[in-house]
Amino acid sequence: MKRFMNYLAVMLFIATGLTTVQAQTQEYTIDGMIFGMPEATVFTDDYDGPPVVGDYVTMLPKLAKLDYEGNRHHQVRLDTFVQEIEVAEGVRYRAWTFGGMVPGPVIHVREGDRITFTMKNRSDEMVQINEPVSELLMNGENTGGPSGLDISYEVNEEEFASPYLKQIRENNYMNTQPSIMPMPHSMDFHSGTVAKDDKWRTIAPGETIQFDWVANYPGTYIYHCGTPSVLMHTAMGQHGVVVVSPKEGYETDDRIDHEYVVVQSEYYLKKGAGDIYQYDFEAAQNINPSHVVFNGHQTILHDQPLKANAGERVRIHFSNNGPSQTSSFHVIGAIFDRVWMEGHPDNEMKGMQTVLLGASNSATVEFIVPEEGKYILIDHEFADAEKGATGTLSAGPRQ
Amino acid sequence: MLRNIIHIILICAASLSAAAAGTAQNRGIIEIPAGSYHSVLPEVVGEPVQVAAFRLDETAVTNAEFLEFLKVNPEWTRSEIPPVFAGSSYLEQWQDDLQLQDDRNGNEPVTRVSWFAANAYCGWKGGRLPTLHEWEYAAQAMDFTSAKEADRFSYELIGWYSAVDAEKTGLTGSTGIENRYGVKDLFGLVMEWVEDFKPPVGEDISLDCGTVGRMKGDSSIYSYAMSIRFITRMSFDPASTTGMLGFRCAYDPLPPVN
Repeated sequence: MKRFMNYLAVMLFIATGLTTVQAQTQEYTIDGMIFGMPEATVFTDDYDGPPVVGDYVTMLPKLAKLDYEGNRHHQVRLDTFVQEIEVAEGVRYRAWTFGGMVPGPVIHVREGDRITFTMKNRSDEMVQINEPVSELLMNGENTGGPSGLDISYEVNEEEFASPYLKQIRENNYMNTQPSIMPMPHSMDFHSGTVAKDDKWRTIAPGETIQFDWVANYPGTYIYHCGTPSVLMHTAMGQHGVVVVSPKEGYETDDRIDHEYVVVQSEYYLKKGAGDIYQYDFEAAQNINPSHVVFNGHQTILHDQPLKANAGERVRIHFSNNGPSQTSSFHVIGAIFDRVWMEGHPDNEMKGMQTVLLGASNSATVEFIVPEEGKYILIDHEFADAEKGATGTLSAGPRQ
Repeated sequence: MLRNIIHIILICAASLSAAAAGTAQNRGIIEIPAGSYHSVLPEVVGEPVQVAAFRLDETAVTNAEFLEFLKVNPEWTRSEIPPVFAGSSYLEQWQDDLQLQDDRNGNEPVTRVSWFAANAYCGWKGGRLPTLHEWEYAAQAMDFTSAKEADRFSYELIGWYSAVDAEKTGLTGSTGIENRYGVKDLFGLVMEWVEDFKPPVGEDISLDCGTVGRMKGDSSIYSYAMSIRFITRMSFDPASTTGMLGFRCAYDPLPPVN
């Protein structure tokens, strides 16, 4: 009898859960934007395929070219799982990731696109993303780092569910190793306008969530895990960006030579057992990061600089993913001749030396590379710069 | 925090005699005297939760113990359990129904067990899963000499929540963490099922960014760690089977001896 009562109690919890979800499921339009997505579905399956799926999903600092006209319905999967990663020389920790790296992959869509998003919580599963690329190398595939505009996945393209998975195999600078740390997780896309208690729901290890959202607003938007402690989940690595290109483009589109994505974020790590680092809650609470980094690694943008030539125009979609600090983004030796706050084409500013961004703010900046040489991307809050928030743009001679 | 410390000391003083009596009971089952503790659930903020006396396993249930249960209850083996009672990774550390994988140890806590299976095991043992309040009350019966020490423990606890190694849990009894009655590994080994892991109030507070702030009973680090534990537990489904989740059983008090 006791056992029966227990079952009954659990069924009641579940029933309570079902009745409290009141998602808007009737689609409607305001100011040309689409709202009212179908209710999210949460289910359990045995999916063990590619953890990142999407034709326009890339590894930082790359941005996939939108080679289609008008709008598209994207199928995007970002599974969440644990990888032991390197974030600075000699500093490895077991990160909670979207797609295996920190930050997670860049998702590129166009204003008005619809995204059917799928995420399986695979935190209780060893997910391999670091198989060798020997076959690709034998085929003479370009292995040259993350910089450069080309998304070169012509060879064996069909083997990869996303450019990201190919790029990580070619250039696994975090030396990712699978690991297991079962935790509840969720996904919150700032680029989506939906009811959070439906779409951004927390799912347990083994569960999958699927929902739609429409990229109604152009700009660069953070995504992150919203499961409490949200400070812990984001500091552990669960964040990335979606770049929503404006329907009509930016007015400078035809003059741009290079387009990159750079994400600033903080790590709060301390030495744990053995050589592995772990989350330092005290430091996180006191906003005293151990590392402040661009693209997830203390030196990656020096080890693999962004490339351009003198006289060229560079566009950077820059996002400050936090979790807790501001960023004063500056490029040493350059002035931003255009800045679109949040990447929205209506928010245009000109002639800025530094852009101040709060946690989860972004800006799309453009500048002219004046001469051959080195240009340092930097958080001009120097305490953070000296914790790692710098990178290099290496400029060749004028073509 | 000071309030909690004083509170802990009071519980301690009130229960010294009961604790001493508890050591003579059945092997591995420990008496927990009645008392109260502070929860982080909003419904009980500020009010101590009263908990009646009960008994609790000294350690989490091990692989070896669970094997004994499977031998006589084959309906709970991997091949026989209905999917509605357990996720697909149920007892994944077992090579087959009654055989652990070679690299797993019988004295590790059994993990990848669903709430249903844990519940059935405890029923078979003549007990039940502890209630959420019983478990938390027992777990928080720790003696710290100072608020500073309690903070240090809590920082480590949060560190553990962010670095659980589900592949290498360690053996039961190995954490060195023990409550004042001698119950071991309530922290630092695996998380544990409780009977009512998803209290109805869980739906109201929902699992979102602000939940930790709303749950913290006070501003202490200990309270923060507790919130993370509550939230993680509430996110599970009764069929969840993960590598960090095990259980131990509770029992009603023995009848008084004449």
